[in-house]
Amino acid sequence: MENDAKVIPIQAAPYNLSRQAGEAENMLDHIVDDFPDNPQSMAYFYDLFRRVYCHGDEVKHEGMLVGTTCIQAPEELIYAFGATPMRLCNGSYHYDQKGADFMPAKSCSLVKATLGMLNSETVIPKIGKPDLIVNPTTCDQKKKASVMIEGMGHSVYELEFPNVKESEASRVYWQRSVRQFAARLRELTGKKLTRKNLQAAMAKTSRAQAAFRKLHNFRRKSPSLILGKDAFLVTNAYFFDDIERWTDAVEKLNAELELRDEAGFKAVQSKAPRVLFTGSPPIFPNLKLPLLIEEAGGVVVTDETCSANRMLYDMTAVDEWLVNDMVDSLADKYLKPCTCPIFTRNDDRRRRLLDLVRDFNADGVVYQAFAGCQVYEMEYRSVADEFNKAGIPMLYIETDYSTDDKGQLSTRIEAFLESLKNRKKHRA
Amino acid sequence: MKASSPRLQALRDAVNHVHFNRFRFWFQLAAFVLFVYGGYLAIDLGSRLPFFACGYNQEGRAGVCYLLPLQHQLSLPWARLFSYAGIAVLTGFLIFALWFIFLNKGWCGFICPLGTIQDWLTSLRRRLGIRYSTYSHGQFAQLTKVKYLLLALMILIPLGIGGGLFSHSMSPPFCLICPARMILPMFTGDFSQFTIDFSSSAAMVMTALGISITALFLVGSFVKKRFFCFFCPMSALHYLISKPALLKLKKDGSKCTRCGDCYNVCDMEIKEIADDIKNTNIMTDDCTMCLKCVASCPETGALKATFAGIPIFESTEAGFIKRMGKGVQHGK
Ligand code: SF4
Ligand code: SF4
Ligand code: SF4
Ligand code: SF4
Ligand code: SF4
Repeated sequence: MENDAKVIPIQAAPYNLSRQAGEAENMLDHIVDDFPDNPQSMAYFYDLFRRVYCHGDEVKHEGMLVGTTCIQAPEELIYAFGATPMRLCNGSYHYDQKGADFMPAKSCSLVKATLGMLNSETVIPKIGKPDLIVNPTTCDQKKKASVMIEGMGHSVYELEFPNVKESEASRVYWQRSVRQFAARLRELTGKKLTRKNLQAAMAKTSRAQAAFRKLHNFRRKSPSLILGKDAFLVTNAYFFDDIERWTDAVEKLNAELELRDEAGFKAVQSKAPRVLFTGSPPIFPNLKLPLLIEEAGGVVVTDETCSANRMLYDMTAVDEWLVNDMVDSLADKYLKPCTCPIFTRNDDRRRRLLDLVRDFNADGVVYQAFAGCQVYEMEYRSVADEFNKAGIPMLYIETDYSTDDKGQLSTRIEAFLESLKNRKKHRA
Repeated sequence: MKASSPRLQALRDAVNHVHFNRFRFWFQLAAFVLFVYGGYLAIDLGSRLPFFACGYNQEGRAGVCYLLPLQHQLSLPWARLFSYAGIAVLTGFLIFALWFIFLNKGWCGFICPLGTIQDWLTSLRRRLGIRYSTYSHGQFAQLTKVKYLLLALMILIPLGIGGGLFSHSMSPPFCLICPARMILPMFTGDFSQFTIDFSSSAAMVMTALGISITALFLVGSFVKKRFFCFFCPMSALHYLISKPALLKLKKDGSKCTRCGDCYNVCDMEIKEIADDIKNTNIMTDDCTMCLKCVASCPETGALKATFAGIPIFESTEAGFIKRMGKGVQHGK
């Protein structure tokens, strides 16, 4: 590729003309324009994604920036130390390809995309260089990513996370691990963890969670008041948005849904098959699958993924509001209810899925596994068996961040939704 | 969630959203006053009570802990015990069981004065900002058996006394080592139990043991929530007859996420409350039915207390958010 004489200096194209921006823009246009009755208060989120992902606007933060690669990093602690957590899990195909240099070809898009993003000069979302990246030791690919991220010049903290969650030993181990994390944050920020700042941090998170739960509960309504693509966008914004602004926006959305409910509004037809989404997390701009489902006339009514429900659902109970007890309670909240597939057993995940199907009146389940995300691939069988027993149809889709399989996927999804509709008719 | 009248639903909501810890504090205080000072108002609820309303609190007591008459009865000479006096033992037990069946272990969580004192020591520690301690899982598995051992001794030793195998100065054996014997009379200004009885070597050993156990009780309950209840033979006795009780702690495993919030707040470190999703009757032998777990469960309908089959206090998402939000703001 030596082209000695005539080197044409490559002009850095403006961000909004880049492939990445195009990818985001395209997805966002579909989300916004393909559907007639988007809630008005969704404008906040559409606008946010447009600014951050399509225009490359900077994402501001307070204090130090602590990147997290998984929901197991206790954000309340990070807030308590006056720092801002930012979830780094990335959904862009562009970065997925860039990250392919680091990982074997058949590895998970999410991990590759995250590596690709961290290794690039201009990081989108434009958050600036994290002062610390917390990488919980969960699946193998994330574990191995630690050293690679370090190699890119980031400072990485490996938050030791157990593989078994039922035993008391793992609980104690994890509590200790979380306390050590607090010590590391103290070193990083030079601040102290006090009852007051931890309480304030926990209050922030619980307010956000209460707003999320309210939204979640509205989605039980049949026919739906809001589409799943919007709900995913809302929770995706939680990755990087200012937590208080985010909560305000969700509360506004909830207020609008309340009005919709009173007015008897229907976001979809009454016959629209209701889908529970589970498996590898949809992260913007890779909302490919939820979007395909809803473009085909289905509606995602709830999910069991760590970019949405699992990230915000479980709440902390504290017995004594003293720093120690609060930290241990936080640790419990991150470990005990977690249905992540990296654990040895998945009884809780299966129970949770059945519970969601029941509570949300779902007609069927779509299971997304990123090609190369072994843990989700391996759990497929047991989850399928469980649903089989319960007589609930499930569609298993192995895919990645590329859009090449869109056509083929949409055929499969349409067929699946059609079968759900027929079942519904038969039962009625 | 059933279609009940809106008024009933409103009442249910009000109960389910209650600031539970505060409610329980006042309830326990009222019960404490009743059972420790009620005697001054000539209240007498008999001597078959299923909790530690200590009989040694001669003046203030409004009723007597069943373990006292039980040990006395069992130490009757065998000739009497195994004939007509046996009937009295049985009727005594029956009355005790009737009392118990009403509230199940709720007597422990809400009424027992010795339980309440432990909770006060706990809140004293909390106010001082000192962390509580816990047992390891292995310790828990061993220690939880102690109460049955004490119960067995509490029955066998009096029988031995009645049969002439042990000296009468050891009677009633459990009362001699029970911390309530020294602590509760103190609340009515009676410190006379704080003595070592030198009349015989057995009495001396027992009363000295009693004083050390009381000291241990005070220190233990300060560092460990409900330290004594863990070893309490009354609690063991309760569990043996808890099947027909009216007040029940129920769990709906299908609604439980095993988040562990209930386990986290449980004074008795009962892991099953979170992990067991099969049993619907979730009260274990260590449980004091304090219902703190119900108050801190975020899943609507996962845990509930029922009375004669009717739900009286149920975990709800809204109640949880309200209570924990209060904690976040005022946090004591
Ligand atoms: S799947 Fe599990 S390990 Fe992976 S990001 Fe989600 S919570 Fe973390
Ligand atoms: S000393 Fe203990 S066992 Fe005996 S009557 Fe008093 S409370 Fe009951
Ligand atoms: S277990 Fe505790 S509360 Fe119950 S009777 Fe014994 S001391 Fe009282
Ligand atoms: S708090 Fe409720 S949901 Fe959580 S483990 Fe206990 S019973 Fe289950
Ligand atoms: S299981 Fe519940 S009621 Fe029983 S002691 Fe523990 S918190 Fe109290």
